[in-house]
Amino acid sequence: MDEWKPNPAAKPHKKRSWYLAWKYKLMNQRALRKLCQTGAVLFLLVTVIVNIKLILDTRRAAYEEEEESAQDYDDEMLNVEVPRHPVNNKKVLDVEVYSSRSKVYVAVDGTTVLEDEAREQGRGIHVIVLNQATGHVMAKRVFDTYSPHEDEAMVLFLNMIARGRILIFTVKDEGSFHLKDTAKNVLKSLGSQVAPFLSWRDMWTFVGKKGGEVYGEKHAKSPALSTWGDPVLLKTEVHLTSVEDAECHWPDTELNRRRKRFCSKVEGYGSVCSCKDPTPIEFNPDPLKDNKVFNVPVAVIAGNRPNYLYRMLRSLLSAQGVNPQMITVFIDGYYEEPMDVVELFGLSGIQHTPISIKNARVSQHYKASLTATFNLFPDAKFAVVLEEDLDISVDFFSFLSQSIHLLEEDESLYCISAWNDQGYEHTAEDPSLLYRVETMPGLGWVLRKSLYKDELEPKWPTPEKLWDWDMWMRMPEQRKGRECIIPDISRSYHFGIVGLNMNGYFHEAYFKKHKFNTVPNVQLKNVESLRKDAYETEIHRLLGEAEVLDHSKNPCEDSFVPDTEGKVYVMFIRMEQEADFTTWTQLAKCLHIWDLDVRGNHKGLWRLFRKKNHFLVVGVPASPYSSKKPSSVTPIYMEPPAKEEGAVAVPAVPAAEQT
Amino acid sequence: MQKINKNVVLALLSLTSLVFLLFQLYYYKFYLSQKNGTVFSKVRGSQSGEDSTRWHVVRKFLGLISSHNIPVYLIDPLILGLVDKDIEQIRSSGGPSPECKYFCVPRDFTTFALLDKTWKPEMGLFRTAEKMGFQWLKIINKDPRLDGMDDLSGIEIPLHYIFKLASHAIHLVVFYERSGNYLWHGSLRLKQHMDRKFVPFRKLHFGRYPGAYEKPELLLVSIDDLKVQIPKNPSSFLEEMSHSRFLECRYREARAFFQLYPDDASLDAVEFRKKAKSLLHLAALTLNNLGVKFWLSSGTCLGWYRQCNVIPHSKDVDLGVFIRDYKADIIPAFQKAGLPLKHKFGKVEDSLELSFQGEDDVKLDIFFFYEEDDHIWNGGTQAKSGKKFKYLFPKFTLCWTEFVELKVHVPCETLQYVEANYGPDWKVPVKTWDWKSSPSNVQYNGVWPVDEWDDVIQIY
Repeated sequence: MDEWKPNPAAKPHKKRSWYLAWKYKLMNQRALRKLCQTGAVLFLLVTVIVNIKLILDTRRAAYEEEEESAQDYDDEMLNVEVPRHPVNNKKVLDVEVYSSRSKVYVAVDGTTVLEDEAREQGRGIHVIVLNQATGHVMAKRVFDTYSPHEDEAMVLFLNMIARGRILIFTVKDEGSFHLKDTAKNVLKSLGSQVAPFLSWRDMWTFVGKKGGEVYGEKHAKSPALSTWGDPVLLKTEVHLTSVEDAECHWPDTELNRRRKRFCSKVEGYGSVCSCKDPTPIEFNPDPLKDNKVFNVPVAVIAGNRPNYLYRMLRSLLSAQGVNPQMITVFIDGYYEEPMDVVELFGLSGIQHTPISIKNARVSQHYKASLTATFNLFPDAKFAVVLEEDLDISVDFFSFLSQSIHLLEEDESLYCISAWNDQGYEHTAEDPSLLYRVETMPGLGWVLRKSLYKDELEPKWPTPEKLWDWDMWMRMPEQRKGRECIIPDISRSYHFGIVGLNMNGYFHEAYFKKHKFNTVPNVQLKNVESLRKDAYETEIHRLLGEAEVLDHSKNPCEDSFVPDTEGKVYVMFIRMEQEADFTTWTQLAKCLHIWDLDVRGNHKGLWRLFRKKNHFLVVGVPASPYSSKKPSSVTPIYMEPPAKEEGAVAVPAVPAAEQT
Repeated sequence: MQKINKNVVLALLSLTSLVFLLFQLYYYKFYLSQKNGTVFSKVRGSQSGEDSTRWHVVRKFLGLISSHNIPVYLIDPLILGLVDKDIEQIRSSGGPSPECKYFCVPRDFTTFALLDKTWKPEMGLFRTAEKMGFQWLKIINKDPRLDGMDDLSGIEIPLHYIFKLASHAIHLVVFYERSGNYLWHGSLRLKQHMDRKFVPFRKLHFGRYPGAYEKPELLLVSIDDLKVQIPKNPSSFLEEMSHSRFLECRYREARAFFQLYPDDASLDAVEFRKKAKSLLHLAALTLNNLGVKFWLSSGTCLGWYRQCNVIPHSKDVDLGVFIRDYKADIIPAFQKAGLPLKHKFGKVEDSLELSFQGEDDVKLDIFFFYEEDDHIWNGGTQAKSGKKFKYLFPKFTLCWTEFVELKVHVPCETLQYVEANYGPDWKVPVKTWDWKSSPSNVQYNGVWPVDEWDDVIQIY
């Protein structure tokens, strides 16, 4: 192209006389004229060439866009700012709130944000929190204040809401029976005139700003005990504030940007969104020396319980030796709030389309999560599996780091679990002690990749089988006689009280009093003795030194075990064959430990603590340790109670608790 | 008069065309300078200013990433090619170099690699980059490690970054570790809203296709006074790069297939798949140790292409090897690995086929392929009659893929390969398969002379 540059430079002389002379010359000199003609043609040609080149070049650039353009997701980087309504200052929201016996709804600017007319569900006080600047729903809760303790939860929730948020209340069916004075006072402090006098089967709606004005309140009294108050419909207007007023002014750091994004979207997480002194979202626990599990991936299995997930991740990220890069949270369903929590902590989260229903849905979610974990971390030999309703002990990773080599070397092991099914406040004592058990406890455990890839994954229960994954894993076809290592004092704590197989009563009876280790850096005792053969030697040593208890006494009585400390005692119970747990179940029941199925046994032997003494229970004659029984001792037999006595409602399937 | 007119017209025409030309040249230049002047860099030649710009950009970039503790290594084919020539000298010397020999050579990009697990993409890096004057672009896409699973979402991963400063750009390719102990990088696809003129994307050395690589050993060297990590053996890296193209399994189609024909989840099927997988792993290990290039063939290839898994009723594992890669050590090596020879048909010159006995009746078949001008074929032999068969395939090249946690070759033109073998109805599972008549590409190829039978039909 360049050689053409000099040409244009020569052109712009345009004197008329010169032109005329030139024309004249041209007319007279054929050769010159011809030359000029060819020159002109050449120019034309060049123009054409340049033209073509330009077209080609533009084409090429356009072609670079390549075939693939199907996906059209926005680039994440452009999306850092929270999506918001275009907010004009002082916009007004129309709010409609309806309260009645069988139906409640809330509409904001014509959009229904809550509608509940399901029968036998959603009883109590519904609370909705709106962002005062955008009008977005930040939290939605229902507190069944007809039942005990729910009002406490409501108070807790209301106290966590930031000042300035808009609160909407409405009652469905009944909301006053267990609404105590504390809760009534909190509602009063929000500006409600009616709440302190709310009574049996009254209908009530209320809209107000936390720490500010009241936008409206309506109430319908129940005329008689047997009837409900008339439905009430409250229509009111709420004035929005500017975004700046609704946000805190934290220093601009990477962490605070995450915090800001989170806090403008959701509510009910308390001090994490406090303007003055927000609680940290990065914990930097001490690193572990020689951490063997630093590069082990951690899969957190979650559903739609974002508050649980928040609590769980806090404890997990505070545990010593945690490696946030290895954590992936798997959310069963396209729920936004759990994902917000995951992003708050800067972790990675993956959403999973729910498949099937109930237990099978959980089971499919587990499978997808485990497969994804090993795909994402192809180097990993193990994966730590956690659930969203667990607290994680400060020495969780230290415990695993000290024991994980066993799982690698001892083929007779099935898993390492942080949970001792029988480790209650009154039956667990020694944080440095580990056991081998035949049952898989779950609730914070380590899975070997080869076990998953070669054995479990190919035959994992299909979606149409409504099985619990953990029950399935406990089946002999899967477990094949292998055992799990567990600590005496659990390294996880199960706090969830809502869940598929979980309710308040069940939790109170079986989980609340579970012991949970809070001591950091526990040095585990004698880890090598957990290997298959070494463990037998260890048990025989223990039984050899154990003092045989007085079998004439009632084993349920406290006096059955002497008032000593640090001794080892043994008792023998009747166990006709391997699967005969009649006496054990009765004993477990009266000791107030897990009795819904058999857990924590090793060859007909159970190990626990009573009054700070190690307490061994041997099933005779099924256990190979029966030989240690002195001939003078008759194994204790406890009869199961007659059927009608077992009237206590207990969930049918004592599965572990999941989403 | 006519003549004058003609001349005037011509003059006028050339005048307008000249003006037009001027305008176009101007526009062309303007258009190109928007593209960062890259095309003109050729014209401007190797002015020293340009050269040192490249070096400065690289230096700035290395400073940026080291300040954020991000370990990158150089994979630029142009520079590695130059480095490779002087590799001994570079390895030994650590002192300052007299001239800028490598980072100053004319080019549009310098390419670096980054291992995903060694860093965490934080905004801080990009803020610093912007402060230093870099413009940057990130290309994200779906995570292929989760592609095989339906219904997972929420994960898009960064695949490429481009940092541009002045007239030079740094292309940072993110490598991911995948099951099968290899590294993978994605293809570079621009999304709709992206700036297509950010850099001349077509000239990038990485990104046209996804690629698969071994994990490289790295070496810290000083090149042109810049400390930088490079693959320990640049020439083998460049060799690997030249045929690194990777094909992802067609997970979506495989899911559709399983919708139509539900997977066999019986214990037998599970067991067979497990055995086939371990046999394939053993075979891959053995052949890789010998340096024999192989690919998934016949039923195993069909299983990969159609359902991303071993076909449970296929009963054997089939591999293809070009006859030029044949080595006499193959048989002893397999025997050493615990796989005795079951039969050997044909000879190196014609229709060679080896069969090894795996665990519990699972058989490993290795077919040797013969290249002709316009096609490729392998042979078959019927033991009892000495009949020969020929299976014809269109020409193909080899690509990497991942199959049962293994990085293996498959024909890049898989569809043609599978269709040649199984006909247009390859999507329909067939349980009874006769290797002599069922394949759609089989040709009768005469009979082995009887006196050769002892040699070309060996059964153990």
